[in-house]
Amino acid sequence: MLVQVLLQLAVVVSLLTLAGIAVVVGRYRLRDTRREWASRLRAATPITVVLAVVLLANSVARQVVPDLSWMIGWNLTWAIYDLEGQFILWLQSFETPALTAFFSFVYIYGYVFLLVFPVVAYFALSNTRPLRELLTAYTLNYVLGLVLYTFVIAYGPRNMMPELVDALMYDTYPRYQHLTRQVNRNTNVFPSLHTSLAATVGVLAYQTREVYPRWAIVAVPLAISVAISTMYLGIHWAIDVVAGIVLAYVCVKLAGVLVGRWAISDRFDVGNPLSRLR
Amino acid sequence: MNRQSTTRPNGVDRRSVLAAGATGLALATSGCIDRVESAVGQETDRLALSITTVPADGDREAVRIARQLEANLEAVGIDASLDMRSRSEFLEAVLIDHDFDLYVGRHPADFDPDFLYEMLHSAYANESGWQNPFGFANIPFDDHLEAQRRVDGEPRRERVATLLEALAEENPFDPICFPEEHRVARTDRFEGWSADHPESRHGYLELEPDEDVDRLRVLVTDSRISRNLNPLSATLRERGSTIDLVYDSLATEHDGDLVPWLAEDVELRSADGDDDHVAEATITLREDCRFHDDEPLDADDVAFTYRFLEDTALGRSEFPSPAPRYRSHVSTLEGVTVESDRELRLEFATGLEAARRALTVPILPEHRWREQVEARVGNAEAFTATQGQWGLVTMDNVPAIGSGPFRFESRSEREHLTLERYDDHFTGREDVDLPAVDVERLQFGIDPGSASSIERVANDGADVTASMLEAHALETIPDDPAVDHLESPSRSFYHVGFNARIEPFSNPHVRRLVAGLLDKSWIVDEIFDGHATPTATPLPEEWEPEELIWEGTDPVTPFFGADGELDAEAARAALEDAGYRYDEQGRLHQ
Repeated sequence: MLVQVLLQLAVVVSLLTLAGIAVVVGRYRLRDTRREWASRLRAATPITVVLAVVLLANSVARQVVPDLSWMIGWNLTWAIYDLEGQFILWLQSFETPALTAFFSFVYIYGYVFLLVFPVVAYFALSNTRPLRELLTAYTLNYVLGLVLYTFVIAYGPRNMMPELVDALMYDTYPRYQHLTRQVNRNTNVFPSLHTSLAATVGVLAYQTREVYPRWAIVAVPLAISVAISTMYLGIHWAIDVVAGIVLAYVCVKLAGVLVGRWAISDRFDVGNPLSRLR
Repeated sequence: MNRQSTTRPNGVDRRSVLAAGATGLALATSGCIDRVESAVGQETDRLALSITTVPADGDREAVRIARQLEANLEAVGIDASLDMRSRSEFLEAVLIDHDFDLYVGRHPADFDPDFLYEMLHSAYANESGWQNPFGFANIPFDDHLEAQRRVDGEPRRERVATLLEALAEENPFDPICFPEEHRVARTDRFEGWSADHPESRHGYLELEPDEDVDRLRVLVTDSRISRNLNPLSATLRERGSTIDLVYDSLATEHDGDLVPWLAEDVELRSADGDDDHVAEATITLREDCRFHDDEPLDADDVAFTYRFLEDTALGRSEFPSPAPRYRSHVSTLEGVTVESDRELRLEFATGLEAARRALTVPILPEHRWREQVEARVGNAEAFTATQGQWGLVTMDNVPAIGSGPFRFESRSEREHLTLERYDDHFTGREDVDLPAVDVERLQFGIDPGSASSIERVANDGADVTASMLEAHALETIPDDPAVDHLESPSRSFYHVGFNARIEPFSNPHVRRLVAGLLDKSWIVDEIFDGHATPTATPLPEEWEPEELIWEGTDPVTPFFGADGELDAEAARAALEDAGYRYDEQGRLHQ
């Protein structure tokens, strides 16, 4: 069943990405990309390698992290619930089957598309800086997220209020549970990495709005939908989402600084890097 | 009391510092700093209770009961909170560390009421493991526990009834209900479902695969069997039949009766009047049985197992270190004599009925476990094997070497555990009157969701759900001729356990008052959708005295209110009668 879900995901995201390339990237950038792809790839290779290493390390660490977290023993579930349990209930009061279907789609397909597409879109730019910033921000998200996961144990709303959270995605679409449990453990909800990665893409999309105005129009509402979906589906608390947004902001800022400092190819860039785009 | 009193003395500082830091972190992110101050300024003698339970992924019904209880505790002015832990961390807190105020959980129970001896005898109050997690100690009650063990038949029934009455009085734990066990199975690859309880030795043995079917795909919601196969682990084992499939026991329970298993013959009889012991058994093992590593299994392994469960350090530790499981099983034994390779004589301090559980413990290979003990103790002069916690009872024991009908093949943590048929097992012999194993492989896949497990069976991704399905998912079972819905009653029961070692639950009146905050009928109707039976005792109806039979309401600790609605005034008045006082804000103080 996992294979089936993965296949479905791959097909849907590929189709969305192709559509995105046609609508957002355009013919001319594709033409240039065919000419310059080798040099762009060279520029992006170091950070891509770092990201790949972090992702690998992350998947190994996730086996150990929960045990470590229990040893540290910061179980925040009750503190969070006590503070804001009512908010999730309020959000849930808008539940309709259509909304559940929409947010489930956004949570799985929309999210993956949101993460994959900017990699393609920024690769199609002559200036590799947005691409490198994006990949750096992804890397930071995973590193900082894992640190927070190690320290904090928290179960999400669906584990605390199974009866009230009506729109549980895993009840309506049980098959998705096979997918999400491959990447996450149920004690890792603070912060919401779904939110932080989506917000990272959203902020960068806003920063590059002059180059990709259409992408900004798609990415920002989609990122907001992803954040809402995590709460609506009972997976995250509002606090997790706020923490995710803070994490995204930190990662984007840090990525900007880091890419500026260590980028060899940008040595001769002057002023606002965005001015040289296009 | 305050929450710190549940923490062990050496843990208080670290924990409270961490907790303070953690709360600060959570609050800071939301900007509600003022609540920290008000929490600090609170009076310290306000009654605060923390309910330990598992998250919905572990047991959806348990967390709902816990939240209902939390709401009602708050309504009577108690500062209540939930302490949610993973399944193994939950058992660690309750069974090993005894670091809890009260908990909501499910007890596996057993086929004979003597499991209550293990649960409640004061001799075990300081031990870690499934024995007496409540720290309950009451001398008259110990007498009841011992009295029921010594007799059989009608006299025993009477003593068990007396025991249950005393239990209802003292209420160290409050039984809530017996859930129905629901499972789904595919009928197009295997036949023989529902002949027996699906989660038992016989249940797996009697399955007949169709041609070309080489493995049974079993789904379990609990990943712990993929991580640990130690039959002695208290925190990673509670229900489930994996250990029964990998290990043999002398006899096995089938439909409430004990049938010979590893023993070819069990002669269990009452002792002569002038003997010290009450009952005795002569055991004859089946011929030529071997462990999965091809070492022979003989009477010495059986004798070793009983000695080892009594003291897992085999006398090498400063203090004996009894196993955190099977504690009362072996406590019925007074003597074990090996008469030959295949013959043993067991002497029991109990009657025939209570003695039976001793015959169901897994028989462990002496050569492997003794070696483990030696390796751990080494040449140390003064060695302490911390009871219930030392390496031997917590190690993962992978691969497990038993002598059972299935042997360990492979596993991947949190993914699967695969067992393969052990072809030399005695069930395969023609002269043995037990069902032979037809299936070559058992693959236990981990699927944490009841709904997704049902979907997988319906889509032919699995053959059976071994774990009990949760009540909320039952409506998703498809109406498909290829999918069988199996239903069986359960011995296991949901209950609220109290930590009688500490305030306020050292006081039986408070335990009873808190029990009165649970509307068991409402819980069964609302939380279990009616798929459970409310109860006032932990034993099935045939053991219950008349006064304790459920008739619409709890005969001992009736709910303060009706239909789930708490009559807080009545409950508050009762708490005041018990010596508690309310401040002007309606908060309860001791």
